[in-house]
Amino acid sequence: DLSTFPALRASLALRFTEQAPGMELSLSGNALKTFTRSITCLARVGTELVLAASPSKLELHTLNSSRSAYQTVSFHPGSFDIYSLSSSSSIRCSVLLKSLCSVLRTPAAALDRIAVALPSPDAAKLQCTLHCLSGAKKTYWITCNVDPDVQQLSLDRRRFPSSLVVRPRDLARLLANFQSSLQEITIFAAETSAAPSDSGDEIGGKAVELRSYIDPTKDNSDATLHTQLWIDPAEEFFQYTHTGDPVDVTFGVKELKLDFKRAGFYRTARMESAIQPILMAPRFGFDDASDSDFDATLVLATMLVSQLNSGSSQEQPSVPPVPQLERSRAANASPVSDNPSNHTKIWSELSGSAAKSSDTIRGKQVQVEGNPSASIPNDQQTPNMINVPRVPAAHEDTLDIQQPMETDDRDKTQDGADMHGNPYSQHHPSNWVGAVDDEDEDDDDDEELCVQSTPHYSD
Amino acid sequence: MSSSAGVGGDAPDLVCQLDCAQGMVDALSSVRWKRHQDAVVEISEHGVVLIVEESGCLQAKVYLKRELFLAYEYTAEGRPRFGLSLGLFVDCLNTFSTPGHAPVIEIRYPGPDMQLLLKTVDSPDACIYAEIRTRIPDTISWDCNFQSTGNVHATFTEAVDDLEWPGSSIQIVLQPDPPSVILRGEGHGDLQVEFPYYANTDLLIAFQCDQHVSYRYKYKFLRATTSHIPNSVLKDNRGSKVTIGRGGMLKIQHLISVKRAGGQHSHGDISGGIQQLSRIAYIEFFVKPEEDESPVNDT
Repeated sequence: DLSTFPALRASLALRFTEQAPGMELSLSGNALKTFTRSITCLARVGTELVLAASPSKLELHTLNSSRSAYQTVSFHPGSFDIYSLSSSSSIRCSVLLKSLCSVLRTPAAALDRIAVALPSPDAAKLQCTLHCLSGAKKTYWITCNVDPDVQQLSLDRRRFPSSLVVRPRDLARLLANFQSSLQEITIFAAETSAAPSDSGDEIGGKAVELRSYIDPTKDNSDATLHTQLWIDPAEEFFQYTHTGDPVDVTFGVKELKLDFKRAGFYRTARMESAIQPILMAPRFGFDDASDSDFDATLVLATMLVSQLNSGSSQEQPSVPPVPQLERSRAANASPVSDNPSNHTKIWSELSGSAAKSSDTIRGKQVQVEGNPSASIPNDQQTPNMINVPRVPAAHEDTLDIQQPMETDDRDKTQDGADMHGNPYSQHHPSNWVGAVDDEDEDDDDDEELCVQSTPHYSD
Repeated sequence: MSSSAGVGGDAPDLVCQLDCAQGMVDALSSVRWKRHQDAVVEISEHGVVLIVEESGCLQAKVYLKRELFLAYEYTAEGRPRFGLSLGLFVDCLNTFSTPGHAPVIEIRYPGPDMQLLLKTVDSPDACIYAEIRTRIPDTISWDCNFQSTGNVHATFTEAVDDLEWPGSSIQIVLQPDPPSVILRGEGHGDLQVEFPYYANTDLLIAFQCDQHVSYRYKYKFLRATTSHIPNSVLKDNRGSKVTIGRGGMLKIQHLISVKRAGGQHSHGDISGGIQQLSRIAYIEFFVKPEEDESPVNDT
């Protein structure tokens, strides 16, 4: 949208001349600070940086070595004091982020301005000149990489059905509930319920769940801590929109933490479905006009299997939403009121046939308006997820909507399920508080308390 | 002042007292670029000079004028010299000084066995006493006849730190037109740091250069000349004087203030950060250029 003042500045700064060097940029002040901070952020993600300057923007992107995180930062030409390109097409080069970080060792506060230049589009070295406030001038020549290993990714933000905006410190606080050594995390997002919770015991309005993901293929000891956190997006997030079916995404926690280390920016996370990457971007203060010249996106690869859906089917199951839910809800009503803590037990269960029903119940607990079957986990990749669901017969009908079982393992676990329907796992149900029926009542309060760590959604 | 003279007319060459052990440590640490360094100490009626050297390419001298000491009694003929471990000497002085309290230390040379003797003399009830072995010094091979071709007064510490990145030897250029100092490294990356004389009055405090002078120096030696100046000293650093002499010999001079502790002895001269000249230790570094570089001289 070039109809604003920054665009006007951009057009003044932007020059196409034959004599101009391949690329010449100069920035100072706040833009300089943002630039240096961006480099620091990018350096946390990957090792190689691709710098692409086009008439409309300057883009910096990097990809991490395991190819699970891609970050791109773009600057509007208007934020530069000088933005000069010798051609109207994009000029690109690639350098090591480590080198750029060495250049930026001089603190931004000591700098008057930075100039970045490429003598020609295929120059061997990128030139960075730091003009210090002290009067000293430092000129760096960084060798360009010949074949950068970073692809350019473009993602349409609008096609993501689920998006949340969160303050970094809030996200940090939520993540603090998880074991610090946790590798991967799953976010389940669903539509927030318009209707208030219909039972005082339920967790009302918790449309989002964060769950620790433990890779079943890794050798996990019984001591692995599993954590689930249900969030009322209205309470915890600055903004939350979700349309359509519930989605879940599983990705690396480290990458998540990488992104919000940059203070001051809200984080927008957009999710589409399990197999699609998540998009995270800064969102500038809602207090000021957010006509920023700067934008950044972190794309995190997610696990190819949905915790909700079968991995073999990549589309969202199409299931009529509310009516089914209500039906199952109704069916659930009595068991839940009998054993309010069931929902807690049930959440953690992912495997085995018991799981399916448990997740329908969970679906309800989250006030999911979307299809309950979508909330039925068919993913059998976590056989050692603990907990015992009840297997109310009433939910048999919802089982039909199940996606087909994915692997033989799953069948096995089903067969190997114990009396509670829990598959054989190293986490014997009896080890888990609340797993056994007769412990329910005792654990009620404990479970309830745990659940209530985030405020109840109340009208 | 110590009252006890040496036995049998064997008066020590030097008996001195100092109350600024921490300042001494700062000054001596500036030339401590390796863990184990042998120094040559030369005493005279003017003060104490400590000389350290490495591989014939880098030499440092610390001048401790007699005015730095509370008392300075020199009775020797000529200028006795002895070898001493710099590390031991600095560590020993550190032992004597405790935070918040600067004792008066008496240093005496030579002891009965040619050692250096140190002891605290300000407390009637307790005394810390130390002896450090000395040795016959090697002759210092180079005491160059330094002829300046250009000098600059500036703070280069940050530039030298930055110049670690290229991983190469460093070229220093002094040029009269435009008057500036340029430090350059070309390794796996290139870096050039320029100090233009006219950029800022505080950047180059003084500049004198008649001809274009350019020499290369090994990075580790250059680094040794700046990186060990204690931070507390850098804060009120007046900048260092950098001179390139004939043949490319680089001379870097620092002034390290050796503050008097407490200030009870002041005669109304302590105010703010004003340092008396006599409270300054002079540090000189000499760095030989790399031999393959033929000096570029434009007239």
